Amino acid sequence: MDSLFALIPLIIVFPFSGVVIGVFFGRRLMPHKDSIGPGLVASILAGASFVIAVLMFIALQGHPEGVEVPLATWMNITAGDRVLDIPWTFKIDTLSSVMMLVVAGVGTLIHIYAIGYMQGDIDEQIAKRGFEGDEAFDFKRRRYSKFFTFFNLFLGSMLVLVTANNYLMMFVGWELVGLCSYLLIGFWFDDPVKGVYNSESGKKAFIVNRIGDFGMLIAIMLIFWTFGTVQFDDVFARAECMQAESQEACLTVSAGEAVHEEAEGEHGEAARPYLTPVALGKIGTVTLGVVVTIITLCLLLGATGKSAQIPLFVWLPDAMAGPTPVSALIHAATMVTAGIYMITRSNVLYAMAPISGTAVAIVGAATALVAGTIAVAQFDIKRVLAYSTISQLGFMIAAVGLGGYVAGIFHLATHAFFKALLFLSAGSVIHGMEHGHHHAAHHGHGGDDPDFDPQDMRYMGGLKDKMPITTWVYIIGSLALAGIPPLAGFWSKDEILLDASLNNQLVYVLLSISAFFTAFYMGRQVFMVFFGRARTEAADHAVESKPMMTTPLIILAALSVLGGLLNLPGLHSLAHWLEHSVAHAHTAEFNISIAAISTLLGLIAIGLSWLLYGRKPVEAGQADPLRSTGPVFTFLNRKWYWDELYDTVFIKPYVWLGEFLAVTIDWKFWHDFVHDRIIGDAFRGWGAILSQPIDQGVVDGAVNGIAQLVDGSSQELRKTQTGYVRNYALAVALGVVLVLGFLAFRFLM
Amino acid sequence: MSLTPLHAIFALMSLFTVGGAVGVVLNRNLIYAAMYLVLSLFGIAGLFILLEAPFLAAVQILVYVGAISVLITITVMVTRCVFCKEPPPRQLTLVAVMAALVMVTLGFVIMTRFGGLTPAADVPADSIEQLGVAFVNPQAYLVPFEVASILLLGALIGAIFIARDDLPRDEEAVGGDDHA
Amino acid sequence: MNLPTLESINLLAVLPVLIVFGWTLVLLVIDLFIPSGRKYWTAWLGILGLLGAAVALAVRFIDARGAAVTAFDGMLTVDGFSLFLQAIFILTAVIGILLALDFLPRHKIERGEYYILLLFTTGGMMIMSMAADLIVVFLALELLSIPLYILTGFARPRADSEEAAMKYFLLGAFASGFLVFGIALTYGGTGTTSLVGVFNQLAEGEPSRDLALVGMALILVGFGFKVAAVPFHMWTPDVYQGAPTPVTAFMSVGAKAGGFAALMRILIVAMPAVGEAWGMLVAILAMLTMILGNVVAIAQRNIKRMLAYSSIAHAGYILVAVSAAQRPEDAPLAVSAAIFYLLTYAFTNLGAFGVVLAVEREDGSGNLLEDFAGLGRSKPVLAAIMTLFMLSLTGMPVSAGLVGKFFVFQAAINASVGNPWILAAAIVGIVTSVISAFYYIRIILIMYMQEGEPQVVLKPALTVALALTALATLILGIIPAPVFQLAKDALLTLVG
Repeated sequence: MDSLFALIPLIIVFPFSGVVIGVFFGRRLMPHKDSIGPGLVASILAGASFVIAVLMFIALQGHPEGVEVPLATWMNITAGDRVLDIPWTFKIDTLSSVMMLVVAGVGTLIHIYAIGYMQGDIDEQIAKRGFEGDEAFDFKRRRYSKFFTFFNLFLGSMLVLVTANNYLMMFVGWELVGLCSYLLIGFWFDDPVKGVYNSESGKKAFIVNRIGDFGMLIAIMLIFWTFGTVQFDDVFARAECMQAESQEACLTVSAGEAVHEEAEGEHGEAARPYLTPVALGKIGTVTLGVVVTIITLCLLLGATGKSAQIPLFVWLPDAMAGPTPVSALIHAATMVTAGIYMITRSNVLYAMAPISGTAVAIVGAATALVAGTIAVAQFDIKRVLAYSTISQLGFMIAAVGLGGYVAGIFHLATHAFFKALLFLSAGSVIHGMEHGHHHAAHHGHGGDDPDFDPQDMRYMGGLKDKMPITTWVYIIGSLALAGIPPLAGFWSKDEILLDASLNNQLVYVLLSISAFFTAFYMGRQVFMVFFGRARTEAADHAVESKPMMTTPLIILAALSVLGGLLNLPGLHSLAHWLEHSVAHAHTAEFNISIAAISTLLGLIAIGLSWLLYGRKPVEAGQADPLRSTGPVFTFLNRKWYWDELYDTVFIKPYVWLGEFLAVTIDWKFWHDFVHDRIIGDAFRGWGAILSQPIDQGVVDGAVNGIAQLVDGSSQELRKTQTGYVRNYALAVALGVVLVLGFLAFRFLM
Repeated sequence: MSLTPLHAIFALMSLFTVGGAVGVVLNRNLIYAAMYLVLSLFGIAGLFILLEAPFLAAVQILVYVGAISVLITITVMVTRCVFCKEPPPRQLTLVAVMAALVMVTLGFVIMTRFGGLTPAADVPADSIEQLGVAFVNPQAYLVPFEVASILLLGALIGAIFIARDDLPRDEEAVGGDDHA
Repeated sequence: MNLPTLESINLLAVLPVLIVFGWTLVLLVIDLFIPSGRKYWTAWLGILGLLGAAVALAVRFIDARGAAVTAFDGMLTVDGFSLFLQAIFILTAVIGILLALDFLPRHKIERGEYYILLLFTTGGMMIMSMAADLIVVFLALELLSIPLYILTGFARPRADSEEAAMKYFLLGAFASGFLVFGIALTYGGTGTTSLVGVFNQLAEGEPSRDLALVGMALILVGFGFKVAAVPFHMWTPDVYQGAPTPVTAFMSVGAKAGGFAALMRILIVAMPAVGEAWGMLVAILAMLTMILGNVVAIAQRNIKRMLAYSSIAHAGYILVAVSAAQRPEDAPLAVSAAIFYLLTYAFTNLGAFGVVLAVEREDGSGNLLEDFAGLGRSKPVLAAIMTLFMLSLTGMPVSAGLVGKFFVFQAAINASVGNPWILAAAIVGIVTSVISAFYYIRIILIMYMQEGEPQVVLKPALTVALALTALATLILGIIPAPVFQLAKDALLTLVG
């Protein structure tokens, strides 16, 4: 069984080899227009990663305490008696195993879905640009293989993140997935209509994430500063040791023997002599508690960036500019959960810093509520889902902040299933709408409306007859998200609410309201999109997607139904599984009243949405019923004016400050006043006095021979142009050959 | 001597270095050429790591792969039509023959006349510290270090002089009055 | 760790170069406060610093009485050779500044940086003459070169000046590459960069000495470029023509002398064990250089270009002397001949460029041979001085040039016993000297025999420079013995 663990490097080798294949052979894998070679290869490699993840899961059954598999020395710096040794080691424990399974599993399904989706998406782009023949084929080949190259790169990077055994390696994965996110959001950066918006969205995501990464980096530096290591287990062991003993005594402490068994087999040595640069408790009044609080707050900043929480969530809605599989994989199911994973991983530190834990919970709950309300007033089908994702991430963050790590990870897994399902189904809807739009345009049904947006729910309606499979899986996903029993979302959300009700009433109330909004906006969406009458020609001519796309949907739908089995009340299989790796995992017993309240709220919300959108469907051109709330709706529709707030509070003052520094301080004050007036004039005056006697005959003959200037200089210029540098260099090289040749024949033969 | 992964890594790094260099020369797109240069420099950093000189590797990455490449890329971007292809190089055959001759001659001499590898002494644990001390030790490399610093100062002044925008003007225009 | 002692650092021995660098740094700050239009202050202050260094040098010379010492634990060698060459560098720099003093404002390129960069490169040359470690040699070479690249382009935005700078820089970097490669191979072959170490390893007949041999060849290439030896000379005419004339004058002397200083120290001090190999190579290069330089010079109509080819040719003569130093027993005489030749060439060439400067116009024209027509009538003294310089470059009697050539050929013929290559080089040298008379004397003929109205601007600083160089050329031509005695005592030594 142990030997299975040695396979772990393959889990990232597969996707990264997909990147290499994609870069060098991607286009050759696509001999004709409809070939799916690159997508197939990428999906198979993703699947292979999933197989490895499953094997790791099996192997872990015998070793639930987990193992570390060293791959290579990454950094080993010795300075005097201080050592910084950061290996690239895989950490396989129950927590990372769950993440591997979710990432590789959902990832594989979305890869398969994308095979079909991207064919259509690229054809759409080709039509927009009017490419034909070879040009169209070349464009398609290039973009299709590029997409899957990026996709595989993302998968590999995400797996680097979740399998890292230290903060720095995790940070590498963290940055890599950020890069992939940027690349994929702006995938259609050259779209003739929305290209600028797409690339701006990519930039926004990247820059906002930098702010979070800044916090993450500071946290890592502080961790090293305090504990002399960045390896998870050692950090936690030392942190716990330092609560009882002096810092010095703890600096050589290493995690338990069992975990290090493998590593020691390689290196043959016990604890290494790490020493921190600065001792704790010796400067000012810094104590362990303060440092750990700062560390965990900085980590929280990192998590708010990657997991789109207040105050850094603004990038995620715009990230929907990427193709739909990207939204599903990166911006719903996997990458955005990195923050939750990271906090769960650091649970020992959070347990030591109760203030940080509360901060995390409040941030999460507030985000859940704010994003949930915004989602109610959006019209873009993907934007609704984006805000829903932010809101659900808020649930998870709130859970881990309250110490409900099992609940958080549980919701992470089930959310990955049903949110991926919803996004992919939305992609299917968009696909169908575009198809219908073309159909309508071709047949002269007046479907050539230039403002037509295949993602706008106001243009949809009545799709249930045209796209039955999509409709059914969408409804399943929606019910799961709304937390209706016995679907997966019910169990995981209930667990979070339960934890909240026991630990923090405020969080509980906020989350319950969010849950209500969740059910409402999902109901609104389902009724607007699938029921009622078609509001446009396009919706009238929409068609169901190909099996290549619907099969992953069905699998995900099944997972959304059955996901709750992971951690049913009473069994707590996930809790038992995770307690091997999450020291502070705990679970609460099922409480029927909590469950009943949340289910009731969900049902009321759905009923309300039926009253507003289902009973009397919205007709074409008719205003949204919620418009009657006036400014409230506008406020929500404009996303609480959050972007405008940032623009006013940060961007404008920043620009103003920049101008102030450049124009007023540097130019007007420093240059004009200090430099010119004070220094310049003073020294000019002194210089004139000092140099007067010698200052003779400088200005002389400056007006001679302008005619000769033109004539002579052109002559000279012509001459200098005769010699090319490369010829001269060639002559030098020739000289080298001659010298060496002579030497070789004369003295060396 | 059996093949170890180190051989493979060495081969890969050498491939990066040499292949990157060839790419720089042969690529007609300046930006791509710059990227190849990055690859080549990165390969050199890898070779440094193989030689157990992580500090040099880090410096190589920081200075060359990081800073200098960025500088080159920016320079290319501001000076030319970035994605234009350069005209095909002239005298390519002649140049190739010449380069091959230099390489063959040098290669022949080095391969046949090299006195054999003497295994290097173990890298001392405090090699970086020793390096740091050697730079400021009058008995070691203080002179080269200081000469290099003056050299850089001279180059700096020169670069500023070249980049400065105030071209010669009338006698009256004395320092600082040149509002652009 | 042994603590360094004052004795092993030996700051006093390198005081001249310390003064140059230190004063330049101070001057860099002072220059900020000198208003533009008064930059000759910087120039005079620069000369002041150089004079200070000259005094330190003289004190050192009297103090040492020919003894050689090392400084910084063997990184630098202060021996007679390096003292002599440092004197040449300081002289060249002083005259270089004097030449530029009037030129820069006339051409509206007067900036303090000019003098600062010139002092930097002078310091580089001084280090070069003392360098006893290949790393120092390389860094000093770059310190010598980089300010020169910029000085070449100093007449910005004049296109030919910028173009010359670009060419010089690109090719210089290319040649530096070979030099570094050579140093690396030498290190690979001997395991050390110190010249003493290289000498010891080669003397023991190291198995990898062939590697060092190849290293030597590439080092030769690198310096061949710097001193403008054929076939590494092609940059010279373009750069000499494009650069502002005072820069051309300075670099035709200083950079060449700097290159030769390090080349001779490396070859003669560290590599006598492979003397046969480099002696032969240098002899061949010398012959090619003398032939090409002198023959092509005939075809030139631009005086700066002509002087460029002339400077190539003179590098050939010095190479003859270097080649003659291949056997340790011949080395002392050959080295003194070479450095004495460098001294005479320095005065003569700087003077010749001074005359060119006087005739040159503000727009950079006035460099054609025809522009000298009528000089004999309108400015008889200037024409006489130019005649002296031309005769000296040819190697005619009553001029320093004759003495220089005489000593070089004497050393070559002395060393040529059993070595036909040196003999051949000496014969080629004598023949090409005769050829060179053609184009040097043509200038004299144009000045005196053709009608013309040359526009001459002769300012005090330039006058001083011309007087100085002319006087020196004359004195060295009439009574060379005292100075040559100094050169003979200026031994290249291996200390360490």
